[in-house]
Amino acid sequence: MEAERSPGVGSGNSGTYTAEIAESLRFEEEIQSLIHPSFDASPATGGSFTALLGLPANQAVELLHEPGPGEPPASAAASSPVWQIRPGEQGAAPIRLPLGCCSSTFPSNAALVDRAVRFPVFAAEESPASSSGGGGPPLRLKVESPDSDSPPSLSIPSEKPQQRSAKRKEAGKSKTKGTTKKSKSTEKNNAVPKAEAEDINGGDKLPYVHVRARRGQATDSHSLAERARREKINARMKLLQELVPGCNKITGTALVLDEIINHVQSLQRQVEFLSMRLAAVNPRIDFGALDSFLPAECGPLQAANGRTGVALDPAPWSSSDAASAAGGVRRLPPQQFWHVDLVCPQQTSASWERDPHVLLNSGISLFGYDPANSGNSVPVNSNQLKTEL
Amino acid sequence: MENPNPKSLMAAFHFQRALSLVHRTASKSSRAVRGRRIQCAAYASMAYSAGPRRAWSRALLRRLRRAARRRQPRAGWRRRAAAGAGAASRVATGAAGLRRLVPGGGGMDYCSLLEETADYIKCLSVQVKLMQSIADSASLCGQL
Repeated sequence: MEAERSPGVGSGNSGTYTAEIAESLRFEEEIQSLIHPSFDASPATGGSFTALLGLPANQAVELLHEPGPGEPPASAAASSPVWQIRPGEQGAAPIRLPLGCCSSTFPSNAALVDRAVRFPVFAAEESPASSSGGGGPPLRLKVESPDSDSPPSLSIPSEKPQQRSAKRKEAGKSKTKGTTKKSKSTEKNNAVPKAEAEDINGGDKLPYVHVRARRGQATDSHSLAERARREKINARMKLLQELVPGCNKITGTALVLDEIINHVQSLQRQVEFLSMRLAAVNPRIDFGALDSFLPAECGPLQAANGRTGVALDPAPWSSSDAASAAGGVRRLPPQQFWHVDLVCPQQTSASWERDPHVLLNSGISLFGYDPANSGNSVPVNSNQLKTEL
Repeated sequence: MENPNPKSLMAAFHFQRALSLVHRTASKSSRAVRGRRIQCAAYASMAYSAGPRRAWSRALLRRLRRAARRRQPRAGWRRRAAAGAGAASRVATGAAGLRRLVPGGGGMDYCSLLEETADYIKCLSVQVKLMQSIADSASLCGQL
């Protein structure tokens, strides 16, 4: 049995109206017992009836006793499902629901406000599990005219605390972490245990990190920040464990760190031994071996590189380098690098691009660069050397 | 070896270029000297291809540049290389050891240290694979 509802109240009561809807589920049986079995009139609009359902039972009975317009229920039945009246129940005098008089006969909002205030407790009792679903479908209730339909939404009690917490969260966004509000909401919505990790990841962009406090944990801003930092560190440790082979089975941070250190040391040792080996082997370096690295899409990059010429960004800069690398090392004009260096005025990228050439070319002790071999790129290079050193 | 990554392509290119340079110019020097230079070339090309956005690559290039300028690379490099390749007992364990290993590790907080370590390990392994393949192909060619 569903309660069809379309609130006939003014728009200001939409928030509190949902309270009545929720309570309608509770008081459904109570109200039904009040209804005379001979009552055949269906509610003209579910909204008006459920508005009454939000009231305490006695008030609802008083209202129902009012002589309403008594329109034929057929028109209402066509538009909305009928509120089933169970025959055989003891009840009061025949009740006719007033149609379209909700606004006029609507009880004071104080009652609804009371309902609304008591609602979170009610919701927490009723559906703790569903509210932990976290960000359920947004509240579909809208304030509509009494004549229009509205889809029944029974999951309102579970959505309500989500909406409220979402509203609180939006209100708290302008404040520093809104810890006080969140602590209150965590006490009430004690069924939401998860810490919102996505806030931490997204918190790098926002000025504030929004973290939901877990149950039983402190909601102090310091501890929240510490918890966010700890989770960041744990995430990075997990990444490292994946990188280092054989680290997954190890439990304990210290051992994992030792393993990582061993791995880095072994890699550095490998570099050293391989460099010794390469020194011994005289390479006729087969640049054709590089071609196996080249993906198909590096080809068109070369054309683009020729057009643009200057890379003002590190990203296109690197792609232009890859394109030039793809073009074949023998064909690569060294002037291309110098050209980029000269034209690109930006500090970081320019100094960055200069670096390897300085390393390659400046250190006689280091690389033994022979100026005679490089041809026309030498004067450019010496200019850069002067600025560099 | 499949490395369609443009970064590793660049690393490969720069390293090979440096390698050819070293062999061309320092063929008369001893093997150890050349080996040291090749090692520097490896680190330089690795750091260069990693990009300026990484703290470790900037620190590494800074260190290499300083060494090149001072023209006393051997002392510094021997010390550092020994620390990296030598007795593990000398290097501390835990975060301090990591800071010593990863270039630029001394100036970061723990969180960034872990991040830089991950990137450093990634680039190191790529570089090692690259050098391995070059050595293998070179030795293969030599055998023929």
